[in-house]
Amino acid sequence: MAEITLRGVTKGWGTVIGVDRIDLTVRDKEFMVFLGPSGCGKTTTMRMVAGLEEPTTGEIMIDGETMNGVDPRDRDVAMVFQSYALYPNMSIYENIRFPLRMRGVPVPEQDALVRKAAAMVELGDLLDRKPKALSGGQRQRAALARAIVRQPRVFLMDEPLSNLDAKLRLTMRVQLKHIQRQLQTTTIYVTHDQVEATTLADRIVVMNGGRIQQIGTPDEIYNSPSNVFVAGFIGTPPMNLIEGRVERGRFVAPSLELPLSAATLASPLPEKLTLGVRPEDAEVAASDAAQIKSTLFAVEPMGDHTLITTRIGEAFFTAKVDRDFRQALDSPIGIHVRPDRVHLFATSSGDRLQRGA
Amino acid sequence: MALRRSTAASTLLRTAILGAWGLFCLAPILYFATIALRPRNEIITPHPIYFPTITIETWAKIWHDWPIVNYFTNSVLAISGSVLICLLLGIPAAYSLARYTYRGREDIGFYILSTKMMAPAVVAIPIFFLLRTMGLLDTVWALMLVYAAMNLSIVIWIIRSYMLDIPSEIEDAARTDGASDLRILWSIITPMCLPGIITASVIATIFAMNEYLFTLIIATREAYPLSVALANFSGGSDGIIYNAIALVGFLAFIPVLILVLLIQDHLSRGLTMGAVKG
Repeated sequence: MAEITLRGVTKGWGTVIGVDRIDLTVRDKEFMVFLGPSGCGKTTTMRMVAGLEEPTTGEIMIDGETMNGVDPRDRDVAMVFQSYALYPNMSIYENIRFPLRMRGVPVPEQDALVRKAAAMVELGDLLDRKPKALSGGQRQRAALARAIVRQPRVFLMDEPLSNLDAKLRLTMRVQLKHIQRQLQTTTIYVTHDQVEATTLADRIVVMNGGRIQQIGTPDEIYNSPSNVFVAGFIGTPPMNLIEGRVERGRFVAPSLELPLSAATLASPLPEKLTLGVRPEDAEVAASDAAQIKSTLFAVEPMGDHTLITTRIGEAFFTAKVDRDFRQALDSPIGIHVRPDRVHLFATSSGDRLQRGA
Repeated sequence: MALRRSTAASTLLRTAILGAWGLFCLAPILYFATIALRPRNEIITPHPIYFPTITIETWAKIWHDWPIVNYFTNSVLAISGSVLICLLLGIPAAYSLARYTYRGREDIGFYILSTKMMAPAVVAIPIFFLLRTMGLLDTVWALMLVYAAMNLSIVIWIIRSYMLDIPSEIEDAARTDGASDLRILWSIITPMCLPGIITASVIATIFAMNEYLFTLIIATREAYPLSVALANFSGGSDGIIYNAIALVGFLAFIPVLILVLLIQDHLSRGLTMGAVKG
């Protein structure tokens, strides 16, 4: 049982605000991912949960108990670091045993616990080695074993996979998810990699500029981003965002005219709008069905699909189309977007207006 | 081809210059070694001797006549004790300066270093009176304390620079693992900066070995270490006893030489570190 609650948590250094009034509840057993660009405050928020930083204002609670001012070692949280942070002077065995020794686990029980944790991360035969004799992936697993060995209330993981090569990252990602499900320990995981976030998370907290932009399941975040930042941050390639105006019931931008639904027009609309279209929600169409009429700027074969790019005024518009699509550059092209899948944002605030057009 | 020849020539030139410089530096030591190994009458003759007599016969006599073992023991006790004191005080101090943030930390760091900025002679007389009042004159304890006081600042700064290189994530990990600050210092930080600790110890040993001014004031008979004992072999009815000076000199020189050879890689880092990273 461990539920983490943050209430109005702010962290500042002098006049610099790193984390700005965060309100958040991480549910028991939940795998929560903090996602955002570097410097968005996600690591600082996690370090405050760990007790390595104290919030300037606000309250952090684990299971309803206030943690402000509580020493990291009394919070019963375990942390995995990007640099692994293994103790270089100790063997892997001693590294994993260290938290048990520090918490006064009786010596006869320690060995079995260490071996069990090592077995869970498939590290059994490397226990005698020193950290520097291990590969990156092995070190990461040793760090993970050190975190799980004492069965803490909370796991905190700070970009644990970002020092691994791409292939190893995939394997470790699957293992990590599996271990978390097995142990059912509440987990906060910090990353700037949206693929890691969507694959691992029960829920994602998208952060930017020290503030929470959106909290939701990977589907919610992907399907209804709450503002332009989230829309542009999630998805590869990112969502097309086109600025335009409403004219006679239509969204209008250079080379683009999209009729808006009666429901959308029923409520008052701001003067300037931003239209969001995911590349996979657009397709090549004959010119009478197309809302976008432009010329082909680039064709990028990706294997299982092809990305095509056209220009809309100064902006680019990318669509994910059939793998066999080939056409000469600069030739005219019509693109149809699915009206039920487009997103509308107020240009001035960046906030979502509603789903569909 | 021309390029290669010029490279070879410049290598030759460089070797020659460095060789000449090396010979210039080593010559006194070699000469010193021959003095130690030759009979007294050969040393003081004004005529050049091309084929010196090599003998260690005078060594036995000096060993027998003078309490050289005492000098040596005094040196070892005073120096190792002072290094121990330096480490006991210096490691926690260095950790505090490297990791904690508190008011006046930079100033304290500077005050510690500033003890190196004044001429030792300035404090020689106050220290003499202080030790006399404490009844410590002519004891190994006094040497130990003075050497420790003298070397503490450099020990702190060398160890601190090594501690600054340790990523703070390791301490964060230990903290969440449940370790107290003292435990982190003892089990994680100290083993990780062991090269720095060894370097600092060797440098402190060398400085203490070569200390002369305070040693001369403090040691009057019983507490003679090697450095001041050297001065004993001049004057008196025998004149200057060159063989004895050379022998004691070598006793003082060889252990330091061995230490330096053992840690020479770390030593250059230890000596420059404080300056570069201060």
